Parts: sequence; structure tokens; C-alpha cells
Amino acid sequence: MAAVELSDPTAAPTTGLEAPPASAPSDGTTAAPLALRGVDKRWRKDLPPVLDGLDLTLEPGTVTWVGGRNGVGKTTMLRVAAGLIEPDRGRAELWGVSANENRVRYQRLVSFLPAGDRGLYARLTVRRQLEFWARIAMIDRASFRTTIETAIETFDLGELATRRVDRMSMGQRQRLRIAMTFMADPEVVLLDEPLTSLDTEGSDLLRAAIGRLLASGGAVLWCSPSGERTEMDFDARWTIQQGRLVAA
Amino acid sequence: MNGLRANCSAFAAVMRRDLHIYLSYRTRLVSQVLTSLFSLTLFYYVSKLVHVDGFGSHEAYFGFVVVGIALIGVMYSCFSIPDLVRQELIAGTFDRLLLSPFGAIRSVLAMSLFPMIFAFLIATITLGLGWAIFGLQLHWSTVPLSVPVMILALLAFLPFGVLFAALTVVIKQGAVGTTWVIALLSIVGGLYFPVTLLPSWLQTLAKLQPFTAATDVLRHLLVGTSVGGSPGVSLLKLVGFAALLLPTSIAVLVGAIRVGQRRGTIIEY
Repeated sequence: MAAVELSDPTAAPTTGLEAPPASAPSDGTTAAPLALRGVDKRWRKDLPPVLDGLDLTLEPGTVTWVGGRNGVGKTTMLRVAAGLIEPDRGRAELWGVSANENRVRYQRLVSFLPAGDRGLYARLTVRRQLEFWARIAMIDRASFRTTIETAIETFDLGELATRRVDRMSMGQRQRLRIAMTFMADPEVVLLDEPLTSLDTEGSDLLRAAIGRLLASGGAVLWCSPSGERTEMDFDARWTIQQGRLVAA
Repeated sequence: MNGLRANCSAFAAVMRRDLHIYLSYRTRLVSQVLTSLFSLTLFYYVSKLVHVDGFGSHEAYFGFVVVGIALIGVMYSCFSIPDLVRQELIAGTFDRLLLSPFGAIRSVLAMSLFPMIFAFLIATITLGLGWAIFGLQLHWSTVPLSVPVMILALLAFLPFGVLFAALTVVIKQGAVGTTWVIALLSIVGGLYFPVTLLPSWLQTLAKLQPFTAATDVLRHLLVGTSVGGSPGVSLLKLVGFAALLLPTSIAVLVGAIRVGQRRGTIIEY
């Protein structure tokens, strides 16, 4: 995939896709898989905003990198995009729909991998963890088993399937978290420092999963600190400066 | 129909998760049964010492208090929800529940199921031990009726746990408040002694919450203790609390989560 240089974060990179993904509107509207429009977020009134009228559009079949210094607002941007927190102003949309307008549909379309090693039940085995989150993702009964087995196979978790999470290494946990992120076939994946603790094999599995998502018309937003070596070809690269995106 | 089925599967998945986590601590069940046994032993001998007006015999008071012991566990189970929410917040799993199609509200309601069902089981074991070891006289003809009444009581108690869960989402603390409320309800709910022993103003408080009504009816059904008022009125009170407070508490929880999302504090713990 060729990286492209963009100076307008709302401009679409070339995707090369022949057909739009399933959730693309059929009425000819220009909605994108993910769009952040004029997003403001301020944590305290006496501090400058973390996000200040931030705009970003992801196109189908593209992976976008957003970097910047620690504490610059990358995670806040991802949380707004995921529907976890609400912006003070502006909106986050998936195919033109915000989380407030149709939360269930929004959460079916997007999947968020937060930074760190949280979000797992320490006393559950890998298989039970996957089964639990698949049920919570309301994956239909017919494809439930296949989904679990595919996740275990795709992310090389076979040998760990019966192991409890609190008995796994950080890298193994990260592989499980990534498996959970991709398991329910989301159309937009938000990754916050996804390479944390991953070995080369784990990174390859992540890249392969992203490749499959992009091929099906999905989009990825990848955030990590500036300077991190990712070995990914990004379609667009931005950094956050003073609450806005600037071409990297 | 598919949506209903998927929701039921998700509710069941939360219960299964909690069961697996519970079973991963191997001594927990034994410990809880032993705690019940020790409480029964303690009150068995205390009942031999005390004389309470209105009880014809020591055995009558023992029967009265055993039902109270069984019910306090059920009450605890409802008030465990805020602590469970806090654990989810700390583990970072609450974020995931919030971002799932199942959603945070249904997840919070679902996470109350295992503790309540388990408390129901422990209450049954407590009554069983009381009958088998200490000669508790159960009214077998009306015991089966206690099951639907217990379910109704749980529905009436649940809103209190949901309200404290909402508080936990906002201020990240809930356990302190629940401890006070449980202590207060143990006194005014008539769990260990009849509420008629209380000063009149506390007796008024006893009538304003569902625990007294639940203990009255369940005692009547399980051990034949006469109900302070009409059992029908007590049942209506439970129905009223459940019908009024359950939707209210859910609305408060929805509001608390929205506040957390607006302020951005939903991710804090």
C-alpha cells in the first residue's frame, strides 16, 4: 500500500477499492467510514483544549496514522471516535451516524483497542474471554463458534486457549486484546499504541489482520507516539498539534 | 426475535462469566457455607438466652432470625452491584461493555444476576442447615410460595444497587454508602429483631422501604411467623417498589453514564 501525502485531514486518500463496504450508504451521500467534524474537548476550563476543532475523515480501505507527543490528545481523539466520551463540540460519525443517533449500530461498526493491557478478565481463560466478548458483541448464533475458532487460529492463540489471562505474558495478552478487537468484523478499527509488548510474530499477525480489514473496505486509525517504528505503510500521516491535525 | 435471543445470550454470558470467575477461587463456596453455619450456631445459642415479647418460645425467635440471616445475604447481593461496577472500571472492562452493542446498562443489570441467584442459593443452604442441624421448623406447605416472593423481593431490592452503581459511575465510590445503608436496613428492616421494638420514628422508616415487607411475608411463608399487617399489603408494597424504583434507577444510571461520557470521567476509576 502506498503512503500518500495529504495536507487536508478531511480529504480522502485514494483507496483503489472497486466496491464500497456493506455499510456504505447507497443513496449517493458522501459519508465516510469515520468522520470527526470540528471536535472540541477541554478537560478543564483553565487549560487549553486538548482537541480544538479537530477534523479527520477516514476513507474505505485506508489506514491513517496519527502521532504526536505524549499527552497531546491522541487517546482523547480515539475515545471520541469510539463513542466512549462525548466531545464538547463537533461530532464523530460512522457512515454519517453518530453514537447518540444509533448507539447499537455505531458500536457494531467500530472497534477500539485502548492502550495498555487493560480490558481483560484476569481469571478467565483465553477461550472464555473470547466467548464472553463475542456474546456481548451480539454475534449471531450461526457464526458464533466459527468466530471464536477463527479468532484463536488467526491470532495464534491455540496453545493459550485454556490459559488464564493472569498467567500470560504482556505480549500474549496484547495478542488476545487484538484478537478481541477484530473478532466481530468491525468496519472501523481504532488502535491506540497497538504494538505495545508485541513480538515480531505478533506484529505480523496485526498487520495481516489490518490487511484483511482494508481489503474488505474497512478503515483503520492508528495512534502511537511520534518516533515509534511501526513498519506499516500508512495512507495518511498526521500529528496533533494544539488540538488540530497537521500533516506529518 | 433474533435481537431478543442475542440479548438473552448476552445476559447468560455475563452470568457464565461470573460463575467461572467465582469458581476460579476454589475455597470461596466452602467459606460462604461455613460463614452461614457459624451465624446459625451463634444465633441458635443467642436465641436460648433472649426473651422477646411476642415469641412464644426460643425456637420461634430462632426461626425469626434465621430468615433474617438468609435475607441479609440476598440484600447484600443487590448492594454488591456498585462494587462490581467499580471492579469493571478498574479493570478497564467497563469501557468495553460500554462500547459493545450490548451496552453498559444491560451489562450492569446482567452483572447483578449471578450474585442474586447465588445469594438465593446460599439463603436456601442456610435454611436447610438450620432445619437439618438446628431443628428449624419450616412450614413446608408454604415454602414453595417463598420462591416467587423472593424473586419479587429481589426486584424490589435491585433498584437500590442500581442507584449506588450510578453513584459509583459518577464519583467512583459506592461501597461506603452501601455499607451505611445495609447497616441501617439491618436495623429498620427487622432482620434480627421485630421492628415493634424500635422507637416510633424508626418504625415509620421501617415501613418506608421494601425490606421489612419482604422479611414479613417470607417469614410468614417459611416459618409461620405472623405478619405485622396483611400479607397482601406487603406484597403490593414490594410490587410498588419494584415497578416504581426499577425504571427510575435505570434512568438514573443512564443519566450517570451520559454525565461521565460528557465530562470524560467515564474512563476514570
